[in-house]
Amino acid sequence: MKRRIAGLRFACPVEFNLVTFLPQWNRLVYGTYMASSSSKSSSKVVRPFAFFRAGARASENASQKPILVFEDVFKYFKDDSPTLRGLDMSIERGEFCFITGPSGAGKSTMLRLIYRAHTVDSGRILFCGRDIARLKESSIPFLRRNLGIVFQDFKVIEHWSVFENVAVALEILDMPRRLVRSRVAEALERVGLAGRGSERTATLSGGEMQRVAVARAIVTEPALILADEPTGNLDPHLALDILTLFEEINETGTTVLFATHDHSLIASRNHRIIGIDDGRIIEARVGLRSWQNEPSGMHAVAG
Amino acid sequence: MNFKQAVVRARRGLREERRLYLIAVSSLTIAFFCVGGVLFALSNLSAAATRWGDTGRMSVYLSANATDGDVSQLRMVLEALPEVEEVEHLRAEVARARFIEESEGGEFSALPIEAFPASLEVSLSEGFGSQKAEEIAERVSGLSAVDEVETYRGWFARLESLMNAGQGLALFLALLVGLCVLAVVGNTIRLAVARRREEIEVLKLCGATDSFVRGPFVLEGTFQGLASATLAVVLLMGAFLLLRDRIEASLGELVGADVVFIDGPTVLLLLAAGAVVGALGSALSVRRYLAV
Repeated sequence: MKRRIAGLRFACPVEFNLVTFLPQWNRLVYGTYMASSSSKSSSKVVRPFAFFRAGARASENASQKPILVFEDVFKYFKDDSPTLRGLDMSIERGEFCFITGPSGAGKSTMLRLIYRAHTVDSGRILFCGRDIARLKESSIPFLRRNLGIVFQDFKVIEHWSVFENVAVALEILDMPRRLVRSRVAEALERVGLAGRGSERTATLSGGEMQRVAVARAIVTEPALILADEPTGNLDPHLALDILTLFEEINETGTTVLFATHDHSLIASRNHRIIGIDDGRIIEARVGLRSWQNEPSGMHAVAG
Repeated sequence: MNFKQAVVRARRGLREERRLYLIAVSSLTIAFFCVGGVLFALSNLSAAATRWGDTGRMSVYLSANATDGDVSQLRMVLEALPEVEEVEHLRAEVARARFIEESEGGEFSALPIEAFPASLEVSLSEGFGSQKAEEIAERVSGLSAVDEVETYRGWFARLESLMNAGQGLALFLALLVGLCVLAVVGNTIRLAVARRREEIEVLKLCGATDSFVRGPFVLEGTFQGLASATLAVVLLMGAFLLLRDRIEASLGELVGADVVFIDGPTVLLLLAAGAVVGALGSALSVRRYLAV
């Protein structure tokens, strides 16, 4: 299939279907922003979606590569002791991956490098084939529009309504008001907050606030979701609920990096686990449950 | 960035933080009121200085043996000059009577009539100052009917230097108040922005560009500055109208000119300065939170 977008022709291997949150990477690779409409078949291009930077174009084979690659990444906050020491890893498209390790191991630093809150000191981080470290400051917002970020402390604006907290991510994209309303309603429905858009966020419980944060992260249909200890402030039951929510999002094709040091949470699922300790990746295995009888350092790392 | 969206977000910000903005606008209004007060003083001093500088007066004292014919001839000569607006013949007894009346009698009533020589009081047309009076004095002082010509040049020079000193002081005060206003604006807006740093962080993490984040804050700052400056002008105008008679009774007589309110262009300048200072203060305050 060929699609004409913003005057350029791109090969488009998969049909878009935004209503069901399908292939996220289409938009990422082809630089388009699609509008959902009342008729699923009549999706139309609202505006070109910049690939990290307005006017930039992704390589056509980007969709064949891992979505995220770390190549010998070092990060120093102190000259004599790097926080990350030669990190090498690769995340495939559509993966759900736990990042685990004790507090101070470098999990958050790793995620902060991905959304360019920090810059690597040496090595490369390739996101969709592009080196994040080489992005100009002016391109960072365009990188972040391809990411959904969820934090332990929710980072929701408590004096805003639930709708406003979610809609802000779309307003940044200058999306028409009508579309914002329908997309926010969809996102709220997905996180189990349907019909609660008008409520003040301050009146919500911790679990609900985190759901608002998740809705904000998914409403733009990002290629990659970074969750930095998203269950850290929640009780075990709510933590499992939130994890399930991320898994549901992952089922629609979105890649999820879920940083946590909660061993019980990791043990309850059979996803790939990347363990970090003292700035190094010490294990990268699939499924903690299958390792329980193996001589592994993962249990100690996951703590 | 979308201006309409920025306006919507600025309105939301103003609505949500209205108590803080009320405090900010109050502080800024006081600051701008001080600036307006200094500008008011400055413009009146300037008007008075201009008025005095443009006022040309001279007294042509007549010699004791000048006949009525000499005086009439001299008066005709002076009135024929284009620079001269009016010539008044002040006889000795009239000069003495006026002086005693103006000084409300007292010990001056004992002064003899010889202390008040007859004179021709010459008023020059508008625009001709002490320089022209000096030129005319040089021309008439050689005439036999003229004893002495007083152009008040020294007095005007002293007054002018006094006015200049006053203007300098007012300018210094304006500068000082201006710096205070900048500090108040900066701190007030910084406080308002600091309260919303979480909002800025969220916007940045969602992929907002710096201009998207900055826009509404700059609009809010502009509005605050403009509203404060407008309120200050209204308050100043109210105070002026209320105290106008008293000010004119004291200062008006002192400077010899009507007390006037700040002129239109200066008011517009004050409002524009308010808007610019507010916008700049906001833009600078937001900058420190943009590095997310």
